[in-house]
Amino acid sequence: MDRPIELLPGLPRLGPVFARALLPSGARQAELPAHTVLVNDHAQDLDRLSEYARVCGFTLRDTVPPTWLHVLSFPLQVALLGSRDSTIRLVGVIHVSNRMRLWRPVGASERLQVMVHAANLRPHRRGALVDLVGQVRVADELVWDGVSTYLAPGRTAPGQPDVSPQPAFEAITPTAQWRLPADLGRQYRRVSGDPNPIHTHRLAARAFGFDRPIIQGMWTHARLLAALENRLPGAYAVSAQFVRPILLPATVGFTARPTADGWEAAVTTPDGRKPYLVATLSA
Amino acid sequence: MPSPTGLPDAVVIGGNRTPFAKSGGAYANASAHDLLTAALDGLVARFGLAGTRVGEVAAGAVLKHSRDVSLTREAVLSSALAPETPAVDLQLACATGLEATVLIANKIALGQIQVGIAGGVDSASDAPIALSDPLRRALLAANAATSLSARVKALAAIRPSHLKPDTPRLSEPRTGLSMGEHQALTNLAWNLTRQAQDELAAASHHRLARAWDAGFFDDLVTPYLGLTRDAVLRPDTSVERLATLKPVFGSGDAATLTAGNSTALSDGAATVLLAEAGWAAEHHLPALARFVDAEVAAVDHPGGADLLLAPVGAIGRLLTRRGLGLDDFQFIEIHEAFAGTVLATLAALESEEYCRRLGLPGAVGTVEESRLNVNGSSLATGHPFAATGPRIVATLATLLAGRGPGSRGLISVCAAGGQGVVAILEAV
Repeated sequence: MDRPIELLPGLPRLGPVFARALLPSGARQAELPAHTVLVNDHAQDLDRLSEYARVCGFTLRDTVPPTWLHVLSFPLQVALLGSRDSTIRLVGVIHVSNRMRLWRPVGASERLQVMVHAANLRPHRRGALVDLVGQVRVADELVWDGVSTYLAPGRTAPGQPDVSPQPAFEAITPTAQWRLPADLGRQYRRVSGDPNPIHTHRLAARAFGFDRPIIQGMWTHARLLAALENRLPGAYAVSAQFVRPILLPATVGFTARPTADGWEAAVTTPDGRKPYLVATLSA
Repeated sequence: MPSPTGLPDAVVIGGNRTPFAKSGGAYANASAHDLLTAALDGLVARFGLAGTRVGEVAAGAVLKHSRDVSLTREAVLSSALAPETPAVDLQLACATGLEATVLIANKIALGQIQVGIAGGVDSASDAPIALSDPLRRALLAANAATSLSARVKALAAIRPSHLKPDTPRLSEPRTGLSMGEHQALTNLAWNLTRQAQDELAAASHHRLARAWDAGFFDDLVTPYLGLTRDAVLRPDTSVERLATLKPVFGSGDAATLTAGNSTALSDGAATVLLAEAGWAAEHHLPALARFVDAEVAAVDHPGGADLLLAPVGAIGRLLTRRGLGLDDFQFIEIHEAFAGTVLATLAALESEEYCRRLGLPGAVGTVEESRLNVNGSSLATGHPFAATGPRIVATLATLLAGRGPGSRGLISVCAAGGQGVVAILEAV
């Protein structure tokens, strides 16, 4: 499908576009923008990359983690959801799952074309689901793509929700323990640009039914990849389910086991009974 | 020279390092862990070691955070080496990386391991800053306190002046003098002129630039974070330009040390792959040079000896033990802590009196200038302290392999604490 393209001069910073994305929309029916937002020739900021690596636990390398490319596409997601023809806003949506593929190692000094569009609006028993599809290219070569699936609670979308049962999580014994400090949401906001106050302010978190701020799911995802860093090949796919939020501060468990073509990994409660994030990695 | 003991030969297969950056430059945000991992992964890529369980990795850093107790093991775990690869951290000031090489070569020669990696890393940009001693003691006391009042009392001992952090200093604990101040004394004692020091510094830059241009480092260096060459290198520097720099250490006649003839604070990491000769052949890897022998030495600098001349005694004893003279070496690598360090080392090796005082039979001899640091050294590459030894080992092994079988090279690295490590390599 040929989508209209909105070319932005650069990745948007905190500003009007974010402010608009924070304003709730009154509409009940979920509607999505039909266009693609695109940024050309983006030079990656090494200072920010190094801070991102530090906050998420990565070793600073010449090649970047796939979650970093997600972070670069994130402002375009926000811009897209902030446009006038979107009735879904950033605030209030829940990041339920994410999948992405690194097609080849991406260098920190490579200049990138980053684009995002919305697709696959569908009903969910609690509202509407939408996919934000990102792609990163170097010259004309696709080097990364990712799909962030968000749930917009209370919104409606045509069709019948998928009610097939989720596979049950089998309790495991964590092999590592991570301590997440209370200010981790702030630390990650600095490197991700995610302005959602649910991650940084108790009052904002309360407004959405959480006693304390919750860590950004993509931090947990990045930390999981960092834990596996040298086990991962130069190109791979990863699929992550954000099962429940982690309230800060927190102590969580981590476990990973090799599979036929990759890894299964999970971030869980310290006793390994309840999952926060489960991920599957494959070559 | 066959191994006299019948022990296996440890050979240098190759090396890999990051380009060296100026402190606060391209690697300003990289930690010692990041740098060492980058150097290791480059070595792994060069020699196809991904997933290989290497016998042992020995490396270290001079400027070390307290959290980096197992810096080398952690870097191994971040690298593409098999996670079952053991590692050890060691520290011998600026000779850390050379001592690590000696350790790995010895383990190979004793048959304890078949293959090992020696390395070193330092980041002057990411140097640790410690709490002041009074603040640290107050916090420890508060932590140990069992009652609230005891805790409050402990914390009440903190004064505003205690909040000033303790930055690492490169001064000698027993003399209170910085390394530059010690070198200034040595320059005075050996009558080293500003001109001679600047000439040596300019030559180092010119030789390193020529080696880069000739592609010598293509097999030895992997770019990192956008840096592709050593950032300290000034190919167009000259004795005249160096002569315009203001002295930074010493006063009066001793004021000959400048930023141009002293090594720059730098960031970088270097690694060397060593193996038992048979292992290298089995794995179709090149054997550039045999690690023949090494010697460590120390001088009584609190008693007034030249701080950075410990290698002189080490060289004298090593050559005597091996029945070799300086003429038997086609390449001689003397780490350029300061231009004056190299000049004083050369003068001391020639001095009958100095060498006899060290208990040597006589003067060690004269180093022919054309064999000295032929591809430049630390003044031009930069000197991330612990990385210098492996940088030199890999450079020298490559030079020797180019010269042909039987050619020999000598390495001399001085270190804080009045110590020095020297080693002999011989092309296979």
